[in-house]
Amino acid sequence: MVFNIYRWLDRRLRLQPLTQTLLEEPIPGGASWVYVFGSATLFLFGLQALTGMFLALYYVPSPDAAYDTVQYIQHEVRFGWFVRGLHHWGASAVMVAVGLHLLQVYLYGAYKPPREPMWIVGVVLLLLMMGFGFTGYLLPWDQNAYWATQVGTNMVASVPLVGDLLVRLLRGGASLGALTLSRFFALHVLFLPALIIGGIVLHLFMLRRVGPAGPWSDAQARQRREPFYPRQVFMDAVVMFGVFLLLCVLAFTIEFPLADRADPSDHTFTPVPEWYFLFFYQFLKYMGGPLEPLATWVLPSLFVLGLLLWPFLDRNPERRPASRPMALGAGALFLVAVFVLLGISLRYLHAIPKVEPFVARGQALFAQHHCAACHRVHGEGGKIGPDLSYVADRRPERQWHLRHLRDPQSVSPGSVMPQFHLEENDLTALTSYLLSLKSGAPTSLGR
Amino acid sequence: MALPPNAARRSQLRRWNRMASSNHVRESSGTGEGGVPTGPRRTFFIWMIRVIPNVMGISLVIPLLGYVSSSAFKRREEAWAAIGKMEDLAPNEPQELEFARTVKEGWRTTIAKKAVWVVKQSNGSVTAFSPMCPHLGCGYRWDAPAGQFQCPCHGSVYDVTGKVLAGPAPRPLDELPIKVENGQLLVMYKDFKSGLDHAVEL
Repeated sequence: MVFNIYRWLDRRLRLQPLTQTLLEEPIPGGASWVYVFGSATLFLFGLQALTGMFLALYYVPSPDAAYDTVQYIQHEVRFGWFVRGLHHWGASAVMVAVGLHLLQVYLYGAYKPPREPMWIVGVVLLLLMMGFGFTGYLLPWDQNAYWATQVGTNMVASVPLVGDLLVRLLRGGASLGALTLSRFFALHVLFLPALIIGGIVLHLFMLRRVGPAGPWSDAQARQRREPFYPRQVFMDAVVMFGVFLLLCVLAFTIEFPLADRADPSDHTFTPVPEWYFLFFYQFLKYMGGPLEPLATWVLPSLFVLGLLLWPFLDRNPERRPASRPMALGAGALFLVAVFVLLGISLRYLHAIPKVEPFVARGQALFAQHHCAACHRVHGEGGKIGPDLSYVADRRPERQWHLRHLRDPQSVSPGSVMPQFHLEENDLTALTSYLLSLKSGAPTSLGR
Repeated sequence: MALPPNAARRSQLRRWNRMASSNHVRESSGTGEGGVPTGPRRTFFIWMIRVIPNVMGISLVIPLLGYVSSSAFKRREEAWAAIGKMEDLAPNEPQELEFARTVKEGWRTTIAKKAVWVVKQSNGSVTAFSPMCPHLGCGYRWDAPAGQFQCPCHGSVYDVTGKVLAGPAPRPLDELPIKVENGQLLVMYKDFKSGLDHAVEL
């Protein structure tokens, strides 16, 4: 049936030569499992596009609605958790696939003549991919999204002369808010896809013009010339299937949680970027003071420029790794640096004391109701009310705090503290926070 | 339509045909010229290339269909809303009572002002009518001197029990569930399709 349709179309559109070039492209040295990363990346990109389109059915890019719509997708839409899970884990997987693809191309010297243009387009694709990661991270509009993007956009501001201008263009206004969200949404679902699809087409077109690079030794390349179909297609398909299964398992087993709704007034929140930006996040910590611009824009710009121009910087014509000590040394050094930074960062994140959710919620309420206007906690806040830094040492009874927060007059007649009319849950949370303020406890949460 | 016969194209087509048939075992299994797999080995690769995309496709299509249709066929959940006190109603004098209706559309919860007509019938029971004329959905009103509900759009007329007295209305006024708890009137709001001869809830 399918074949008859194909034959019918072929008689009219002459598809035969086309399928022939597509499937019979010779691979120097034969098919190999080493060549699967490019198609795995393409597959993951397709999966991201598909799941993204479906997420857009329910998502609304406005600060009033974004968080609610993501909650709705996660908890109420049938299979919403699955679609969102695939999109979330797919984003990480695409970064891994791009990284492995880059590593393979680098190791095999496949960027050398005549494939320099293909390498350059590839680097642009990598940057676009990171753009997807950065813009997509803001969309759920939770605390993590808001504060991580706050930090990310502030880094742009450190560029001399044009920094301010750039950051305003990026945010669509003076501060991070509604205008930023719709801007990031448009970038994430319209501009970047249009650009990246153009880039992918160009990348593949170039691949077809110059052909795959094959093994690094010419002797090995001459040994066999196997067509793309069926063995390489088979290997690509098997890897895609493996990746797909892995994503499904992740989506099923690990729910990607939302943090609290973004609250621009809550400065106690410490954002954490996605893991693929963690090495850079850690690097920034070492580059304080006058060195900061070096980390926020000088080195990244130089790195990107170097990556783009790499085929022209590395003029060694040899592709065999053994004959390229400099290039491989530089690559290895970079990888070691990235993984060491990533490792330190992950250890550091694990070392953060686990905060009871109620306590964290209480601390957020403390900020939200501007309690610090009157009360001082560890040196921050007003002096009208008592200092609360170690309030639990003086008042360890939960009931007293609950009664006091409900109606200050009931336990402390003549108090100037206003009544806040908190809900029962919030009362409990705020009390939990107050009871956590005692000697011997960590002085600040989540930092 | 018929292209000139071309021997090379024919043989190519035959090769494609061979790829398509999975029971082809004439060639021996192994590796042919240039590393190209032949025979059952080749058949296995081709079979896998077909099966994998289909398996992935099906395992995506099922959840995605569920995802798309999830909100489309969900019935609106309506809650009882307090609209007034029993003691404020006089027999056979319909009153338009307003209340705040909580409407949940997926992720969005809004509160809209709604009004229903409530009548204490002569037998002491209370009925509530949807405020929309069952003909084409206009808002009707109570003409106290005439003792009738009248729709200004197309002239439908109903008596105090909702029965059609005149005009194009195809059915009586739509009744809403109503109950009395501790003297409070509670109503459950609903929308109905207009123009039909029986009430169909939306």
